[in-house]
Order: sequence, then C-alpha cells, then structure tokens
Amino acid sequence: MASLITCPHCGTRPKEEFSIRGAAAPKRPSPTAKDEAWHVYVYVRDNPKGRYQEYWHHVAGCRRFLVVERDNLTHEVFGVTDAAEFERAGADE
Amino acid sequence: MSINLLHRHVLDDHISGFETDTNPNHLSIIRRPVIFSVLAHESRETAVAEALWNAEDVAPRFCSPSEWLAVSRTVGAGMVADMLSGIAGASFVDQSDGRVLVEISGPSVRAILAKCVAIDLHPEVFEEGHSAAMLCCHAEANVARTGADRFEIIVPRSLAGSVFEELMEMGREHALTRGFVD
Ligand SMILES: [Zn+2]
Repeated sequence: MASLITCPHCGTRPKEEFSIRGAAAPKRPSPTAKDEAWHVYVYVRDNPKGRYQEYWHHVAGCRRFLVVERDNLTHEVFGVTDAAEFERAGADE
Repeated sequence: MSINLLHRHVLDDHISGFETDTNPNHLSIIRRPVIFSVLAHESRETAVAEALWNAEDVAPRFCSPSEWLAVSRTVGAGMVADMLSGIAGASFVDQSDGRVLVEISGPSVRAILAKCVAIDLHPEVFEEGHSAAMLCCHAEANVARTGADRFEIIVPRSLAGSVFEELMEMGREHALTRGFVD
C-alpha cells in the first residue's frame, strides 16, 4: 500500500510524513539549455497510469529526498531509494 | 553564544500549581539538557557517526544519514562542544535553548505512544538504543528508546506546549503523571 512507505533511512512510515514532489524520471536540462528544452521539462509532462517513479521528500523524518517507485493505480510500492543514489545510478548508465 | 532561554523553562506554565506524586507511568521534563545538532561533511558520515557513538557522556540521536543530535543530561554545553570540535568532518551548533527534552516511562508507555506516533514501537522493530525523527503528536520530534519501557522525546521549543498537553491527554487513562527533573 502506498500509505506506508519504507524509507531506507527511517524504516516504515505513514505517507503523512512525506511530501510528494513530482515525477523523478524527467531529466533536468542544463542551465544553459534552450528555452524549448526547459519548456518541455517544466510543462510537457506525461500523466502516467500504473508504475512510475516519483520524488518523495521525507519532511517529518530524515528530510532526505527519496525516489519511490510505485503503481498509482494499485498503490503497490516496488522500491524506495535515496534520491542521491538514484542520481548516481542514473549518471553511471 | 546563544542566549539562555532555559532560565525559565517553556513548560513551566503548563505545570505550575500542582504537586503530584509520581505514578508508574510518568513524564519527566528535563530542565536543562544539552542538545547539539551535528552535521557530517560529505563522505565523512560513517566516521562522524562512529565518533559520536563512542563519545562519553553524550547520547547520539539519529536524524538522517548525515545528521544527529548529541544529547547530554550530565555534562555542560562547553564540554560537549569541546568533544564535538575534536571530531574531524563534523559541524555542530548548540540547540539546547531551542529544543525540549522529555522522558516518558512506565508499563503503559507503548500504549500511550501508540496514540502519539504512527510507527511500530515493538522492541523487535524499534529496539533499545534506537532513535529516529518522526511525527509525535503532529510535531516533528526525535524519539529514542532508552529502556524497555522508557523513551526520550525531543521537540522544538515552540511546539513543546502542544506536544506536552497531548502526551498528558493520551496518558490520562493510564494515570500518567508529570514533573520536572533537574
Ligand atoms: Zn526518512
């Protein structure tokens, strides 16, 4: 259930401790990127149904940004990683 | 130097006027705890954590992978600051005036806290010596298990009044008593 999120630092916590900060998959353009790239990043977003990755900020716990992979239809949670680790894993690819 | 706001405790107003004997379930307000916030510089997290856990007279409280509270009820702020300045890769700041430390203990402590926090406090999940940041009575708090039936709760000074009132309310059916300890 998405109402319980297992934070890698704090353990299993209720969703009330978190703030959802949007999709984690879109890659942020460089500061010097063209306006078009920024427009796409800021405004042109998918509205997925099913499994996707999302930033969750653990406001009332460790205050770390996490990436929660979950299904927004069934509320099933597949995994939670620290956002710094998620970034590193993305950079390695 | 920080101004010593603890000269008059923030919870004095909530308690004065009553004198009660302590019951088995009791809430102690520590009058002058020393509480430092400690941050580890990047990549020094493990070394700083190790140094904190080996430090004498100081109880470390886990907040996040690079942040802890260093709590002492026995030594002064100066000694804690001296100890912390000896840890390489750590930044710290005295938070004693900005935080309130209470200790709740007794046979019904888990039943009381079950109404205050939304995490599992079973000893197999939240064991003795364990601490974490969590919501307690809707306020950001650091909760630590210091004994089988004993917990320490650290809350921001500005929220201490409402947290205290709610803890007492939740403990009323278990005859929770309260008082200062020096
Ligand atoms: Zn957390």
